[in-house]
Amino acid sequence: MRSAVTSLKRLILASIACVLGAAALTFVVDPLQLFRPSRLVAAGYSEDTRVQNAGLIRSQSFDTAFMGTSLAIHFRQSDIDRALGVRSLKLAMTGSNSRQQGFVLEQAIDHGARRVIWAMDDFSFIAAADIEADPYLSVDLYRRTPRGIASYLFSAAMAKESLFALLRSIPPLRDPLTRAAPYLPVKFALSDVDDIYALPRNFDVARGYNAERTLAAFAYITDPVRSRFLGEGYGYEAMVRHFERDVAGLVTRHPDVTFDIYFPPYSILQFVAMRDASPATLKIVTDLTAHIAQRLSQLSNVRLYDFRAIKAVTHDLGNYSDVIHHSPVVDAMVLGWLASGEYRVDPNTPLASLEKLKAQVESYRVPQP
Amino acid sequence: MLFNSYPFILLFLPVVLAGYFWFGRRSNLAPVIWLALASLAFYAIGSWQFVALLLLSIAFNYGVGHLLIVAKLTPPQRKAALALGVVGDLLVLGIFKYAGFATDNINALFGTHLAVHILLPVGISFYTFTQIAFLVDAYRGQVAAYALPHYALFVTYFPHLIAGPILHHKDMIPQFEREESKHPDPHLILCGMIIFAIGLFKKTCLADGIQPLVALAFDARAPSFDQAWLGALAYTFQLYFDFSGYSDMAIGISLMFGIFLPINFNSPYKATSIVDFWRRWHMTLSQFLRDYLYIPLGGNRRGRVLRYVNLLLTMLLGGLWHGAAWTFVIWGALHGVYLCVNHAFNALVPSVPAILARPVRFAGAVLTFLAVVAAWVFFRAERVDWALRILNAMADPANIVFGREEIAALVMVSIYAALVWLAPNTQAIMGYDHGNRRVGEAMRAGRMRPLVLYGASLVLALGILGIQSHSEFIYFRF
Repeated sequence: MRSAVTSLKRLILASIACVLGAAALTFVVDPLQLFRPSRLVAAGYSEDTRVQNAGLIRSQSFDTAFMGTSLAIHFRQSDIDRALGVRSLKLAMTGSNSRQQGFVLEQAIDHGARRVIWAMDDFSFIAAADIEADPYLSVDLYRRTPRGIASYLFSAAMAKESLFALLRSIPPLRDPLTRAAPYLPVKFALSDVDDIYALPRNFDVARGYNAERTLAAFAYITDPVRSRFLGEGYGYEAMVRHFERDVAGLVTRHPDVTFDIYFPPYSILQFVAMRDASPATLKIVTDLTAHIAQRLSQLSNVRLYDFRAIKAVTHDLGNYSDVIHHSPVVDAMVLGWLASGEYRVDPNTPLASLEKLKAQVESYRVPQP
Repeated sequence: MLFNSYPFILLFLPVVLAGYFWFGRRSNLAPVIWLALASLAFYAIGSWQFVALLLLSIAFNYGVGHLLIVAKLTPPQRKAALALGVVGDLLVLGIFKYAGFATDNINALFGTHLAVHILLPVGISFYTFTQIAFLVDAYRGQVAAYALPHYALFVTYFPHLIAGPILHHKDMIPQFEREESKHPDPHLILCGMIIFAIGLFKKTCLADGIQPLVALAFDARAPSFDQAWLGALAYTFQLYFDFSGYSDMAIGISLMFGIFLPINFNSPYKATSIVDFWRRWHMTLSQFLRDYLYIPLGGNRRGRVLRYVNLLLTMLLGGLWHGAAWTFVIWGALHGVYLCVNHAFNALVPSVPAILARPVRFAGAVLTFLAVVAAWVFFRAERVDWALRILNAMADPANIVFGREEIAALVMVSIYAALVWLAPNTQAIMGYDHGNRRVGEAMRAGRMRPLVLYGASLVLALGILGIQSHSEFIYFRF
């Protein structure tokens, strides 16, 4: 009996010691660089951008923040810097909503961003729920509240990452582990911040982006079984409300920050799919972007660009991997247009490019195989 | 409330344990009432809107059971009472669980637009099945009269209430009646904590750890051969560690109260045939289906053909029990067919020579595992056509990506496979003997080295550190 009581006490005390040890390890190594830039061990970066951004904002030095959804995910910071002459920090998050984007940008602005480049998708305004209760983005981690710090330090996943970072800093293990990291089940596997969610440099663009894939995606989303998903969640009033809160609110709160906002060059098939399978959704999208264009044109610290009606790009289905995601070739074009000011929306005629797009959508005929 | 949550581990469980043993010093009944009330509170914290339904179900079944056990009824009256009880239970289960499914099918068949939106009460399948077994046994004259608090605790007992294992009254109620279990036993508490730690680790570190890889197959529009296999295998291991982790936690928690729960898993992926698989996977469900469905249908007593029909029927209903969708029906049907093939093979093929026994067993294990993985694709997929898409990809080795993500997934899946096939299971590690009410005899005899204790501490710590803010158990949906 006594031995069981002793063992029970030992079990509990040893467990507490293990928990505290793991927290101490994470604090010292700090894989997210939430407390300090990496010095003890080589820095590692994760593609889980919703978490990684919390550390990037605190550990990197930057003057420009780049934001968007999966449409903007493959841009490289070095390319942005070269094209625009800035020191950028890419914060784009796959599938992010406007509330998450606005929140992360606000943090970036508080930490030094004087310019924001924002790829704005209509669907990011659909479900932009309360950020304080968002299960996918920890506001506590970004704000470094006691709760956020506790969730970071008392985490088996972070302890594993810390241990791996520590092992990787041992000289004989450094090279093999650095090379192996991307293929191992560790999150902070990237050694270069430029590689976060970027296509590998040897990526076969022709295989990943071509008309065959784009048309297959079009057929898939317009299939009668699935076409109702095209309009799922779209509601004009709510989307305008989300825009006003997350974009217009942020822009007006920071008059000293320049916002370069652009509508990304989706393939024409994105709108044609709506035209054919869900016209009501197409109307919501065009009405919403009309509202956005008019509203942003009134704000002096915003430069708005609309790339959706550039026929040479959007009608060339070889530029896409599905109906919206464009290739790195188009990424480079986007940076070029932003640098030159081409396709900037004239504040006096904010709807001109939208009208052009509407006409294109109406007249477009889908190529038949 | 989840077992893998800080409020449960740091607050609810210690308070309930302390109260249970405190009452245990004063009375034999008070701890039972305390535990039943705590179980209701546990249920209410997550599903307060269904507490009344749970209480009604207990009252109804206890009443019918009382008629069958105590009242002096004629045989036809007894049959009518049993029918009333079972039909009542199945009606409630049917309405809550299958009304939406039935409506969808009617709409599809007749082009109607009927709409039914009924929330599924958490744990309804589990507490309904335990009570049906109670009624059937009462009808068969195999139940002594139980006091209401003990019966209520048997149904609501929080370690099992939401996701099993499925309990049997003959196993549980006598344990609730024992006075010794109301006094703290440090050895049982220690063993319970270690088993709980193993279960928690399985859930928070292993199941939740591999869960993101499932998307490779199930969230992809057109997975490649390797993505489909990796995703399907990831789900196969996720489901195993999720569910067996839950069962371990349930057993561990219960052991702290001095109550032995039945084992629910016995390394099922080591099974050498599908018959063997069902003796090792969700064992309490298999026993229930065998005793209260397969045998009443006639089992194997009415000839070979009817035996196969009964097997198919049992597995079809077993599939439907898991969820109201055609994917679950197909999953059940597949396992029914697997079982029929297995029994036919055993009947037709003579036993293999001793020299071939090992390779045949190995081949059987590989084939069984592959069959189980293919069936899990239906179990997990949202729709039948999505499942077929994944299975098509799994059969098309010409389409392979094998990039960085897939290699990392392969490393992870290999680690899990090694754990599943090479590591001993929880009951083997702890010497858990449900039938003889023994556990950790090696530890009690001082034969267990301190290293094991410190290993358990690390496992508990990792399990606690692995707790995430958004995590749920797969079996909660059933």
